[in-house]
Amino acid sequence: MLSWTRGERETGGVSTLANQALAYVDVLHNLARYLTGNETDAEDLVQETYARALRAEHQFTPGTNLKAWLFRILRNTFLSSYRRRRNDPTVGGLDTVAAEAEGMAPSDWLLGDVELDRLRKVVAEEIEAALMTLSEESRTVILLDLEGLTEVEVADVVGCAVGTVKSRLARARATLRHKLKDYAR
Amino acid sequence: MRCDEVRLHLLDYQEGRLRPEAQNAVRAHLDGCSDCIRADTVEQELTRLLEQRLPQHPASLALKRRLAARWAQPSSPRSWWSRWRASLAPALAATAVVLVAAPLVYYERAASRAAREQTAMVAEAVNDHLRLLASPRSLDVERGGLHQVKPWFAGRLDFAPVVTFEGDADFPLKGGSLGYFRDRKAAVFVYARRLHPISLLVFRADDLPWPSRGLTRLDGVDASIAADRGFNVIVWRRGQLGYALVSDVDARELAALAARLTGGS
Repeated sequence: MLSWTRGERETGGVSTLANQALAYVDVLHNLARYLTGNETDAEDLVQETYARALRAEHQFTPGTNLKAWLFRILRNTFLSSYRRRRNDPTVGGLDTVAAEAEGMAPSDWLLGDVELDRLRKVVAEEIEAALMTLSEESRTVILLDLEGLTEVEVADVVGCAVGTVKSRLARARATLRHKLKDYAR
Repeated sequence: MRCDEVRLHLLDYQEGRLRPEAQNAVRAHLDGCSDCIRADTVEQELTRLLEQRLPQHPASLALKRRLAARWAQPSSPRSWWSRWRASLAPALAATAVVLVAAPLVYYERAASRAAREQTAMVAEAVNDHLRLLASPRSLDVERGGLHQVKPWFAGRLDFAPVVTFEGDADFPLKGGSLGYFRDRKAAVFVYARRLHPISLLVFRADDLPWPSRGLTRLDGVDASIAADRGFNVIVWRRGQLGYALVSDVDARELAALAARLTGGS
């Protein structure tokens, strides 16, 4: 089997943390794109994320998930940078979803066969548009789950208790499905 | 288990992330609850939608170049030695010059040469991968599986590429192409991980400066692992052939594919 060890990295035998971090640029950019809603801001966010991460390289704990650590820095950077611009007409900002829709309970999950059939016909642009109408936190937990992060890692990125990740993800997906009903007709 | 509890755990159930007893409890509930079966079907459909249809937005090559230029650091034991030397007490310095200068110089030269060799191999592999991505017709032979891709190389190469991994659900084989690795022709097998292309270059290994340090044991071969310009690269040699695996996928995922390739090649 193949693995990186702390010793290899520290002695520079395999690669530095910077080089390893650069391997995650695509997934970081993808999340940044869905957070900011536009390419220019996404690139700025990714660059600032790397700047902050590599300045704080000593704070990374070897053996933990580097990708999750970078996601956390990216999201914190987004929140600190973009909260100052709440009034900007940025697509997919922090609060782009109606409160009542976000509050959808997992019990609202059931869909009839007609709705299920519609869901199967949703195209890429529609699912992206629906996702962008969700709150920033809902978009983040859905995308982090798709990236394969564990509940503990998602909780660390989002800054919530581990026990609430499951319910937040369930609510976010329920709201997304609710939104998709409007697109898939 | 109640319906609301089951539905809260459906995602974990589908991913097999529950403890065995919880997994069995959800399964038993689903066997007798049509509403929860429907909820399970809907969840699976949404997951499929997100995994297969949600557009992915990878970083542009321009951004990757900017980040690499700013942050990429060459792998080299030199900085370790520099730090080590700097911490030596000055009183030992003069003695060290006499006693260890010659071995140090020899070691540093060897280490520096090994690092240069690894850097050159990695850079070449990434360049080849980028050339393939930039090509308007990146694949010369598509689909049909390994038994259609491999014969296509016959007559186009002066060797037979030894690759036995036919691809699977995680890493489907997309096709093949003719490429170059340094001064020689290479067979390029293109696998994929979700939307990410992965190039496997196979080429004659003779007369190439193979890295001899910092190697990682990988199913019977010693592999050199590195990252360059945002791409992960795994290079190894088996017999008379060299292999370079390149992609922007997660390093662990690339290692998983390398294990499949070296396990069977």
